[in-house]
Order: sequence, then structure tokens, then C-alpha cells
Amino acid sequence: MLGYHMKGFSGYGVQYSPFFDNKLAVATGANFGLVGNGKVYLLEIDSKGQIHETNSFLTQDCLFDVAWNELHENQVLVAQGDGSLRLFDTTLKDYPIEIFNEHEREVFSCSWNLITKNTFTSSSWDGTVKIWSPLRKASLLTLVPHPLKVMKNFDQVDIPISNQKAHTAISKNKNCIYQAQFSPHDPNLVICCAGNSYTTLFDLRQPSTSNNQQNFFSHSGLEALTCDFNKYRPNIVATGGVDNTIRIWDLRMLSKQFQAGTQRDNSIMCVNEIKKGHELAVRKVSWSPHSSTTLLSTSYDMTCCVWQDLSSNGKAPTGKTNSTDFRRGCITRFNQHSEFVFGADWSLWGQPGFIASTAWDGNVFVWNAFRK
Amino acid sequence: MSQRLHDIKEHITSKLSSNARSDRSADDVVIVSAYRSPIAKGFKGSYKDVNTDYLLTQFLLSFIDKFPGSLKDHLELIEDITCGNVLNVGAGATEHRAACLAAGIPYSTSFNAVNRQCSSGLTAVNDIANKIQTGQIDIGLALGVESMSQNYKNLNPLGTISDTLKNDRNARKCLIPMGITNENVAANFSIDRANQDKFAASSYNKAQHAIEAGLFNDEILPMKLPDGTAVTKDEGPRPNVTPESLGSLRPAFIKDKGTTTAGNSSQVSDGVAGVLLTRRSVAENLNLPILGRYLAFQAVGVPPEVMGVGPAYAIPKVLSKVNLSIADIDIFEINEAFAAQCLYCCNKLNIDLNKVNPKGGAIALGHPLGCTGARQVATIFNELKRDQIGVVSMCIGTGMGAAAVFVKE
Repeated sequence: MLGYHMKGFSGYGVQYSPFFDNKLAVATGANFGLVGNGKVYLLEIDSKGQIHETNSFLTQDCLFDVAWNELHENQVLVAQGDGSLRLFDTTLKDYPIEIFNEHEREVFSCSWNLITKNTFTSSSWDGTVKIWSPLRKASLLTLVPHPLKVMKNFDQVDIPISNQKAHTAISKNKNCIYQAQFSPHDPNLVICCAGNSYTTLFDLRQPSTSNNQQNFFSHSGLEALTCDFNKYRPNIVATGGVDNTIRIWDLRMLSKQFQAGTQRDNSIMCVNEIKKGHELAVRKVSWSPHSSTTLLSTSYDMTCCVWQDLSSNGKAPTGKTNSTDFRRGCITRFNQHSEFVFGADWSLWGQPGFIASTAWDGNVFVWNAFRK
Repeated sequence: MSQRLHDIKEHITSKLSSNARSDRSADDVVIVSAYRSPIAKGFKGSYKDVNTDYLLTQFLLSFIDKFPGSLKDHLELIEDITCGNVLNVGAGATEHRAACLAAGIPYSTSFNAVNRQCSSGLTAVNDIANKIQTGQIDIGLALGVESMSQNYKNLNPLGTISDTLKNDRNARKCLIPMGITNENVAANFSIDRANQDKFAASSYNKAQHAIEAGLFNDEILPMKLPDGTAVTKDEGPRPNVTPESLGSLRPAFIKDKGTTTAGNSSQVSDGVAGVLLTRRSVAENLNLPILGRYLAFQAVGVPPEVMGVGPAYAIPKVLSKVNLSIADIDIFEINEAFAAQCLYCCNKLNIDLNKVNPKGGAIALGHPLGCTGARQVATIFNELKRDQIGVVSMCIGTGMGAAAVFVKE
């Protein structure tokens, strides 16, 4: 395991460069990302296995996600708490080369289109997903997932965080969109997951009305915090949420349901579920770039886990779920972080299994999923 | 800042409230199919000349015939069979394995026999469900079969306890005949003869109505006898039974002061029933129909001298495991070993009698010991409507109770 500590900043997002096997970008925020500056770190792993900071940019608000430009080896995009997205050139100092300022609240995710490579998507607490071109200041498209309603299917334990009036009357805006992502198989498909527990699929070739969206109720009414397309099986998506579970979905069930017109209660069934794999909410899920049945998760329970999806053998469904395994399909549990783990990414390079993770403890760790 | 903090706080403090009625998952243990044979009267009924191996083989042949094609042509997909039985020597471990083979189930499908007295059929369902839940198997068959006509003679409860144990105050209680345990329940909890007869008559009347209305047609598979004739109807129910007509019967266990009669006790019977279970993810893959899902099972111990109170303790325990209350349950199938004990359990738990055994119970239909639990599962799935929740329960000789919760889909 390799490590790097970012003094005074808590990690939210980390990504391996798509161009170099030893470069990482990390999005962070001061004061646990609650208030204050943000900082994007550019890190390099040297031949001795030491991690060094090669550059960094201080921002005026916390950063929640990071994405490398798939077309330019020196450009990195960050999602900022003030509603802006900023594109930095890693060879320059201090200032971004572009600012995309449209979202009205915190931007929680940004990710690049892996096929056309000339667009990226962002998602925000303002309830919208936007599609951008790095060449234009204004967004190309704004998507609003429906329904916007909040499902009340859970017990709320309300602990007031202070006695100040402003703090007690906080609106329960659960339209917050935690993550949006392009499909790695079809440049026109975008998926996003929101605080109202819905995961929504958009096809950018269709007008962005609610009729053209397909959605499913993914975490029993609790917030859906993360989603990811499987890199080998185009119809398979994983989601994670506040119900502490990771669920795996087959999007063909969704289209079957919409064709049949049986949109009774949006309750398509997940094909697999990893229950009790994490003790607290799941913050990030990411399928392996090397295997169609391996996925990574991070959680508020301070661990990262690597799982085997037992519902498939890579070619056909097996009929098993992860509950049928005594370890629930867990390959590795990484427990070196000492705070909530928010970000993690698989390395595309070298021996499969290298992972970079970052947490509120300010650490970036590089470790291998298959090496004990 | 406060909003971001609130957001994070909610990620940590929000708790899911589960909803047994609607929560479905790929892990669920689901019932694909559940059927039973007609129940025949003991000693003088249609099955009096055949034994359990015959009953089981014939039943399996018709049961397999009802399987969906994807399974019927691939019986090797059934990985394990558990068969409940009480009276056969060794719970019928040999002859019932043989019956499975005779019915065309491949030798690769393993078999085991269970005996938890009157709950054996339900215990078989629980055994298979547990194996599916843990991933040990994907598809399993739970069966229950009993020929009281042929094997009642094997049961000699007094003969198998050593003299030392007979002197033990607690151990000795296991030898109390079931009828006496029921007299204890009736006496201890003041359940008078009139109420017992009223309950028993209503069981007869409900069964009579169910037969006339054809309500059993979807759960019964006709039983073909060696002479070629087929039994299609339960033989236990009698028409036009009234509390008064039962009132004239003499107590069966305690001559003058007793309240338990042949009319307000379960009948001695023969029968067989089966439940096919799998995991939902497997059912989806193989395109198997889903009748409903199994939620939970519990067995509890109670004092042997009042063994009939078993359901009054097993039902609350199993319901607490799945966060349900008595009021959430739409139908109860509580085995009527005796009117007094069944009535006691319903009263103790405040169960609305209209929800109990809507098609009659063992007093009218009969109680083929090892078959009963599986028989009740077949019955309840034909009574429940979509998203309704049902409980199957029974008391168990030597002082126990068992209960299981099912949801119809």
C-alpha cells in the first residue's frame, strides 16, 4: 500500500489519469468539505513507490469530484461547491483555463464521455444534470429527472445540529443528484441517481422530456448516492445508497417494463443485492475495468470493498445472489482509512487490481484488490 | 455549511423501515407450487390399504406433472428433498427416498426425512428454505406424508422412555397423551365444552361450504388408487354438523368430567402434500411462476403438559422477527389438533376468528400428522390474495409450537 496525506484537506474524489499510469488527480475540501476552500491535488507515483504532489490548485469552495479530460493529457475538471465546474491545465499555476458556471447549488459529480471524448456531464444539488462541451461556456443540455417527488418510506431520526433557527428549518430537498455518468457503451446514454431514491436513464437522442426517461426506485426510499455502468455488460448497472446496500440492475428489465406499459410502481427488481456488506451508507460504486463481475465500493463505514457479483459468471446469469455466499462475495475489505471514504478509482494500468482511494481523513491510498 | 452537514447526517442516520408486504428482493425464498392430496379417513378411508411410499409416489407423479416445463424436463435441478413424517420407522427415510426415485426424480437429488411431530411438514418447508437462503441449494422440495391407518401401530410413546426417565418429574410429562394435554388446556384456561363444540361445528361448516363451492379444487391433486379409481375430495368433512349434534358425544379421554370428544378433536387421517421452493433470482432465470414468498419460521418450546398452547408462543415470536403484528396478518392457518387448544391460542393472541382456517381445519379435514404443515401451506396460498400475509402454525406433541409467515404475490 502506498499513501499520501493532504494536510488540512479531506478527499472527495480521485481519478487515475487516462494517459499516464502514475498520475492521480484528487478533489478535496477543507473542514471536511463542509465550509471553506477546496483544493485539487495532482499526484505522481515515482519508481520507488513514493507519492509526490506535482501541482495543486486552491479553489474558493470545496471540491466534490474530479475527472480527467479524455482528449487532453494535461486537463482536469473539478466539481465545485459554489455550483461551478472548473477546468485546470496541470502545467499552469493558480487559475483555471475555463469556468462553467450554471448550476445553482453544489456540483456533486462530473464525468467525461468515454466514447466521443468531447463532452462531459455534471450533476448537482439543484436537481439537474448538465451536458457540456469543454469548448463552450454554456451547457449543451440540461436534464431534469422525473419524478421529483420524495418517497417517504423510511424513519427519519431527526437530531437537530444546533439550536439556531436557521439550522432547524432546513428543507428536505432530496432532489439532489449525487452522480451522473455517460455509458461506456453508448455515447448517448446518461444515468444519474438522486436523493429521492430514483435512478434515471436518459437517451440524449430524444427530447429531454419526462416521457423519454426510464427510471427505477433503487434504494427503498432512501437516497441513492452512486451509480456505475458495467464496463463489459452494457445493460448492467450498480447503485449504492443510504440503505447500506449495493444493488445490481439489468436495464433490459426496465425497457421490458416500459414497453409492456406496466409501470405500476416503478418497482423493477434488482438482479443482485449486496446486503449488510457495509455498515453505513455506500458512497461510491465502480465496476472493474478488467472484469465484468468485479466491483469496488466505498462507504461511510470507513472501508472500501471489492466484490464478486455472484449473479453472473460473465456470460450468463447464475441464479445466485451475494447473500448465498458466506462472505457475501467480498474479495477484499480495505480498512486503512480512518474516516468516511468518499472516492475510489480503479487503475487501468499494469496488473489488474490497483485502486486509489481517498477519504475524509485526508489520505490517498493506492492498494491492490487481489494482494493480501 | 449547515445544509451540507445535514445532508451527510441524513446519510448516516436514516433508517429503513422494512415493509414485509411489499419488499421484494432477488434473495427471497419463493414458493413455486404447493399442492396436496385429498385427505382420507384413517382406518376406514380410501387409503387404508396403501402405505406412505405409495401415497408419496402417486402424489409426486401428479405434482411433477404440474411443474412448469423448464423444471419438469430437468428434475435434476431439484437439489434436495426434505420429507416430514411422524409415524413411519425412522420417519420413512428409506421408503420415501425410494418413492422419490419411483416418481422419476433422479438419484442425484438428495433426500432427508424430518420428524418434528405435527410440525414435520412445516419443518420440511423451513429446512428447504434455509438451504436456499444460505446458497446451499437453489431449488428444493418440501414434502409431508402420513398414513395413520398403516403406521399408528408403530407409535408407542410409552415404550421408548427408560425407567429412570419415567421417574423424572419433567421427562415424564412427555408421555402425557395428547388428549389429556388438551384437557389440561381446557381446564387451566376455562374453555368450556359448549365453546369447543361451537368452534368444531364451525370448522365442519366451513369445510362443507368450501367443498360445495369448489374452493379446494386448486390445491388438491387427485390420488389414484391401485384399483384405478381416483380420490378427488376430502373424506373428513360431514354435512350439517351443529354444536348441538357434537354436544351429544361422550368425552373421549376423561370419562365424566372431560370436554374433549371425538367431535371437537382432529381426525385420524392419511394424506400427502408438497411445496416446491426456490430463490427468486432462480425463478426469474428459469421463468418459474411465483405463488408467494416465505418470510420466516420459528419453533418454540412450551410445557409438555399443555402442549396445545404452542401457537400462542410461536406466532408472536415469528412475527417479531419480521416486524409484524397480529393485526397485519390476513389469514391464519392454525392446526386444529383440538378445539380447546386452538381456541385458547386465538383468544390469547386476540386473533379474529374470521381470519382463522377459513376453509375449515383439522377437526373437519383431518390431521395426517407429518403431512399437516405442508398441507396448510398449500391451503393458505389458495386463500390469500396478492400482497396478503398469512401465518401457518400448529402445536407439537411433547410441548412445542411452530409458526411460519408467508406473503402471497
